[in-house]
Amino acid sequence: MAINFGFAISKPRAIDIDRNNLRKSDEILREMPELQTCIGCGACTASCTAGQFTDFNFRRMHTLVRRGEYQGIYEEMNKCMLCGKCRLVCPRGINTRGVVMLIKRKLGDF
Amino acid sequence: MSFFAPFCLPFIIGAVFMFLAVGWKWIRWIYWLPRADKMLILKGIPSTRTLGAIREVVMESLLHRRIFRVNRLLGYMHMSLAFGWFLLIAVGWIETMAYMGIRWIPIQGHVFFKYFSTGLEHKPFFTFVMDLLLLFVLSGVGLAWAKRFMSRKMGMRRTTKHVPGDRIALSALWFIFPARLLAESLTSALHGGGGFLTGTLGDGFGMMFSPLTLYGMEQTAWWFYSSCLGVFFVAMPFSRYMHIFTEIPLIFLRHYRLRSTEKESSLDNFQVEACSRCGICIDPCQLQSVLNINTVQSVYFLRDRRYGMLSRETADNCLMCGRCAERCPVGIDLNTLRISSRDKMRNLPDERRYGYLKGVDRSSGAGKVGYFAGCMTLLTPRILQAMTRIFDAAGEEVWWADRNGGVCCGRPLKLSGETDAARKMMEYNTSLFRTHGITTLVTSCPICLKVFREDYHLEGIEVIHHSEYILRMVKLGRLHLKHGADRFTYHDPCELGRGCGIYDEPREVIEAVGELLEPEQTREHALCCGSSVANTAISDQQQVQLARSVTSELEKTGAEVIVTACPLCKKALGRGTKAPVRDLAEVVAAAVK
Repeated sequence: MAINFGFAISKPRAIDIDRNNLRKSDEILREMPELQTCIGCGACTASCTAGQFTDFNFRRMHTLVRRGEYQGIYEEMNKCMLCGKCRLVCPRGINTRGVVMLIKRKLGDF
Repeated sequence: MSFFAPFCLPFIIGAVFMFLAVGWKWIRWIYWLPRADKMLILKGIPSTRTLGAIREVVMESLLHRRIFRVNRLLGYMHMSLAFGWFLLIAVGWIETMAYMGIRWIPIQGHVFFKYFSTGLEHKPFFTFVMDLLLLFVLSGVGLAWAKRFMSRKMGMRRTTKHVPGDRIALSALWFIFPARLLAESLTSALHGGGGFLTGTLGDGFGMMFSPLTLYGMEQTAWWFYSSCLGVFFVAMPFSRYMHIFTEIPLIFLRHYRLRSTEKESSLDNFQVEACSRCGICIDPCQLQSVLNINTVQSVYFLRDRRYGMLSRETADNCLMCGRCAERCPVGIDLNTLRISSRDKMRNLPDERRYGYLKGVDRSSGAGKVGYFAGCMTLLTPRILQAMTRIFDAAGEEVWWADRNGGVCCGRPLKLSGETDAARKMMEYNTSLFRTHGITTLVTSCPICLKVFREDYHLEGIEVIHHSEYILRMVKLGRLHLKHGADRFTYHDPCELGRGCGIYDEPREVIEAVGELLEPEQTREHALCCGSSVANTAISDQQQVQLARSVTSELEKTGAEVIVTACPLCKKALGRGTKAPVRDLAEVVAAAVK
């Protein structure tokens, strides 16, 4: 029987960047180049309001998008409340609210 | 007298076209109004609100009182053009009546009366008054010319960059009155009967030219005057001068309590076309003065929206601080229009969205007074600690809505345009407040305060800002503060000051604990900290640049501590200065006896 330690480990899997379609990802980086300065510290996710109630994880989402994994991202991004705490805590000063809206625009239908 | 000459044609065609075009616009806009708005108009017309509207039309559309507040010379310029032209028309009609008695005269008969009245007996009083009025308008035209070169003298650092259509209408308008002066002077040179202006100029022409030349010149001048009027009238419904006939109904509709909302409606047509593109909104915009962004100000936003060429960049790049709306002489609801444009671009109703909020309740404590910290306060634990201290000192039983994490108030989402999704959060929070039966809701975040007051339906629950709460406790004698020697300066948060009209309470609280020094731009004219949640377009560096410009002004007061009453402003200003930046609650908590 598995013991619940209060955290989970993602299943191992490989992302093949050569196979993934990076067009949208490139568009997003072009419009928001500062996203490349992300150090992946996860402060955005730690402070996230939506993250208190769900498994919404902004760091994970934008990392997946940058690697061309778009499946289900739009729906996931819709969990965000756009409150802006992540933008205040980001040590690289990334316009995270802008990133959320940009990803939704590129991957959604508006 | 037939009151017709061939040169009248351009004027007649232009005037008929203009009245048809303006009428067509008005009728459609009113027809498209929602039923509830139409009922408001019907109920409003027979009430005293109509009188209030008429008064405002005279004060604003004719006298331009609000522009006088910006700059006297600028106000005079606008007044001389609007009021002067109105008087020229009105006194012109009286003059025609005085000459001809009360009978029907075609409109060109009034406008070109000087041309047709040459055979009649001379009435010096009217000649004098009409010349005086023409001089009044011409002085305005002269100032308008001068404003091109020295706008700073008239209180404007920057003026609007106009589109070609506006330039055509503007040129025609500027030529109308000099052309009228020329035409009337030449008529006076040939037939006499000019006043101190047209008569003197006419005598000069009479000495210089032979009667035959004068006759040719007179015909040309009247043709030119009529053509200028015609061109202006045809261009008017499509240019910025549509504001002349849009501001008047807008004032009436506003008095009948019609308001723009987060969704686009037909009332917005009146608001958008009432913009005269005077450019008064450009100077207060900090994106312009600090960051040199020149394409997003309200004047350009409204222009682009009107002509259907609004880009996302323009709609999104705005702090919604409300400094421009504060100055707008037409009183256009600029922030609401910005939200409805964003809503149109972005809002996607999704019923399943935020389904995860169901059943969530992380509140703690019990009491009739609820405290909603808001996301930004949760990120500023010092404010939360200070509030705890204050509640303890006041002996208040508090229900903590979100001390252990709560749901956002919904305003950031609304400001970004996703208004339907924002409603979900509003519904969640409303039911949370209702379930716990609070009667007073205190919040330390002005962003939350504004949305609670404007969009939530919290009848029976009094929503107050912590500055109001603290002041109330001090006045009731439940909170005792010691007055220290510290010197404070206060930064008005946009959402609290211009947004909710709370200026005095925080100041009274600060004065209870120390000395208050006012910065140069304060209260309604206070600067925005730059980190507004309404703006998702500017970068981090630009936010810091804005914060520095604000804190440098605050530091000039010589105060040791910068006080504000918004957790977001506190964070933003803190990045722009080395001086301590505190929230009002922290200052109070430190002074509690």
